[in-house]
Amino acid sequence: MNKKILYVLGGLVLLAFVGFSLSSFTKAMTPYVSYEQARSANRMVQIAGALEKGSSSYVREQEALLFTLKEPKTREILRVRYKGVKPANFEDAISVVAIGQYDEAAKEFQANKLLVKCPSKYQGAEVRTYS
Amino acid sequence: MTYLSHLYLPGALALWCALLFAIAAIWGYSLVLRGDASAVIFARRAYNFFALSVLLAAAVLILLLLMRDFRIEYVYQYSGMDLPGHYQFAAFWAGQKGSFMIWLVWGTLLGVGLKRAAGKAEPSVMGFYLLTLLGLLFILVRENPFTMLTQTPLDGQGLNPLLQDDWMVIHPPIMFIGYAASAIPFAFAMAALWRRDYDGWAARAFPWALGGFLVLGTAILMGGYWAYKTLGWGGYWGWDPVENASLIPWLFGTVMIHGLHMERTRGRYRRANYVLAALTYVSVLYGTFLTRSGVLADFSVHSFVDFGIAGYLIGLLAVFILLPAYLLISRLPKVPTNRNEDPFLSRGTFLVLSTITVLAAALVIAAGTSAPILTRFMKSPSQVGPEFYNRVNLPIALLVAFLLGLVPFLTWRGEALTEVLKKLRLSAGLALAVTVLSAVAAVRDPLYLVFVFLATLAVASNLEKVVRKWRAHSLSGAGGYLAHVGVGVILLGILASSAYDQSTKVTLEQGVPRKLGDMTLTFTRYLARTASEKERLEIRVDRGHGSTYLAYPKMFMNDRTRQLMVNPDVHSLALKDLYISPIEYDPGQPRLELAKGKTGTVGGLEVRFVKFDLQVEGNAMAQMAAGKPVTIGADLEVTQGGITRPVKALYRMNPADGRVETPPAALPGGGRIVVSGINASSGAVRLDVSGVSNPARLSVDVTKKPLINLVWGGLYVVLLGGILAAIKRVREVRIRASIGELE
Repeated sequence: MNKKILYVLGGLVLLAFVGFSLSSFTKAMTPYVSYEQARSANRMVQIAGALEKGSSSYVREQEALLFTLKEPKTREILRVRYKGVKPANFEDAISVVAIGQYDEAAKEFQANKLLVKCPSKYQGAEVRTYS
Repeated sequence: MTYLSHLYLPGALALWCALLFAIAAIWGYSLVLRGDASAVIFARRAYNFFALSVLLAAAVLILLLLMRDFRIEYVYQYSGMDLPGHYQFAAFWAGQKGSFMIWLVWGTLLGVGLKRAAGKAEPSVMGFYLLTLLGLLFILVRENPFTMLTQTPLDGQGLNPLLQDDWMVIHPPIMFIGYAASAIPFAFAMAALWRRDYDGWAARAFPWALGGFLVLGTAILMGGYWAYKTLGWGGYWGWDPVENASLIPWLFGTVMIHGLHMERTRGRYRRANYVLAALTYVSVLYGTFLTRSGVLADFSVHSFVDFGIAGYLIGLLAVFILLPAYLLISRLPKVPTNRNEDPFLSRGTFLVLSTITVLAAALVIAAGTSAPILTRFMKSPSQVGPEFYNRVNLPIALLVAFLLGLVPFLTWRGEALTEVLKKLRLSAGLALAVTVLSAVAAVRDPLYLVFVFLATLAVASNLEKVVRKWRAHSLSGAGGYLAHVGVGVILLGILASSAYDQSTKVTLEQGVPRKLGDMTLTFTRYLARTASEKERLEIRVDRGHGSTYLAYPKMFMNDRTRQLMVNPDVHSLALKDLYISPIEYDPGQPRLELAKGKTGTVGGLEVRFVKFDLQVEGNAMAQMAAGKPVTIGADLEVTQGGITRPVKALYRMNPADGRVETPPAALPGGGRIVVSGINASSGAVRLDVSGVSNPARLSVDVTKKPLINLVWGGLYVVLLGGILAAIKRVREVRIRASIGELE
């Protein structure tokens, strides 16, 4: 077989793979957005906010966790529904990142994944002095 | 001097000595390189003193942890009075500073071995190796683990409960052996370029590369296993940046191993191997930068925060990118290498194709993990979800499986297609049989059927080779084949357990059997904490045909942090795992905590807390100010059977003796309600209801994971193959060194 043809073929396969990767990359991107943008975005996005104390409840009929996030700066709030297994130490999260899509009909943000930030989870909080 | 007074001197001094001796050792080795052969004794001594200082510093830190000396900030942050003994070691590497420390310790110990194994190249190899250790030392001197607090607290903050697990005690240190080992092939390669001595380094670096590959692989396996067994989300790999940070160097290391093999057998990859050695080490540093600098803080479940070393890590990364880049650009064109003269259908060509494929996987995963940085300059920083990695790696997995299936039956000389096909008959027949079987069983997607066929072909053809080697009594040469059997098995396991898992969420009422497919689940009881076990929930699982087992998922509150911890129950069967993860437990204790205006339900009862009544028996505020007995009323609205009625429950307290009296208020529809507590600061009230039926309820996620054992089993086989290969390469270096071939 002619080697040159093989190299060209190999190069084409690589190019096709690069193209495929790039398109998958842009499709799978979940940008960080504001609540307002999340409501109008027709795609997977991620939002962050503080968990409203006492707002989370497990609704057995829907087998889902419902809670409210509050944007720390704008004080905007957003109802979030999450169907996965509740992350450990969810209740004392200082901030929750939810990845998912806004459900126009239910007026809720449907989260597929939650990232929970807790005080001193992996890295101890910086404490220099205390009484 | 104020800086000094904030440091625990025995430990800090040891670190400074280590820094001094490391610089001395580098200076000594540089003298040797400039022609002063006698300086080697000085350099070696300096290295030994450096090693002693590092070990001393580590010993001091362990001692401080064991003594629970909370003056030390690090001990305060990661330890506590109630932390059991063996977790004190986990506390050692729980934080940033300690994990850099353990990394340095391993690096130092490996260096002792490297010093002896480097042969004539010792001065240059050790010089570069010490540079990598110096980078870690600078971090530790800057962010000193021996920093002291201005006051001594009585107790520490305790260790993150997630890390209080036996797997977590051993997983991180093993990971750091792998990280430390990645610097060795790097040092060999850079030293070879520096000296312009392009032969011999590959053979000497080969066993170290295999060793690093093995250790890092073991660490990744352990991490995945820990996630699966304890976190309860049902998977072993989430494509989280911290996970990827260890996978990327492992993949580069895999490519490097194959490159070194090609160099040894064919004299090819003689240039690429320098690049691969550099990529492997730099990817470790890059992963460290990604996960420790805080750039991904909003994108990773591991939520590392920036503690002020981001700039330093960037600098370190820059040094270790620019240095190899300079050496590669200036020297690489002069490295003699064999031209590719292999025919297409030969082992050489297919090995090249496999290395390119694995390289592509590493690069794509690196690009995905870097997404938040790459998109930073666009309008909103983004990350890519797991679906990106799964999608992109599917064709890679297919190609890898295909290549792995063919390679065993290709020779270096090359062969006619008909010959290759003839040799493949047995394996292909077996693969076809398994594919048909899986099609009958469950697999319908044509792409997945191709996947099954290729992966089984990889298993079968490599297994055939292993058996042949074994029969010929040369199992030592079967390491590569065995590892590839394992890769095929892992691919099958990944496909089966992730594409064909079935997950159902269900709420179980205590004592009431609930049918779920072919199983019946009964939540039988709640088991309180004992000395050896945390709080558990017992579920009887009846799988039909009289086979029953008891599952014990755990749900407990960490005493210190009040975090709710969840552990799944994993029941391993031959063909699948039954994975039961608790989601929510409602003990059925009719207790409500309500803020003003809020409504709660308990046992078919709806209770709304309207307001406090401070005028029930005199003015409560005035009584309180006078130090006299106080009565507070809670105005409630109770809805029972569709009828809402007001109820007033009382809470009496005598400030003189602290005695509390809570007369129960009768509910119109039966049952009684008691105010069992009042939270003055939040204005909430705690209510205990009695006389209403309210069984305990447990919500669980039940998942069937078919053939997941193949993932673990396959990884073991890969590692076993790696061990065989490593033994062979170590022997080879010894023999070649003894006949003077490597000098």
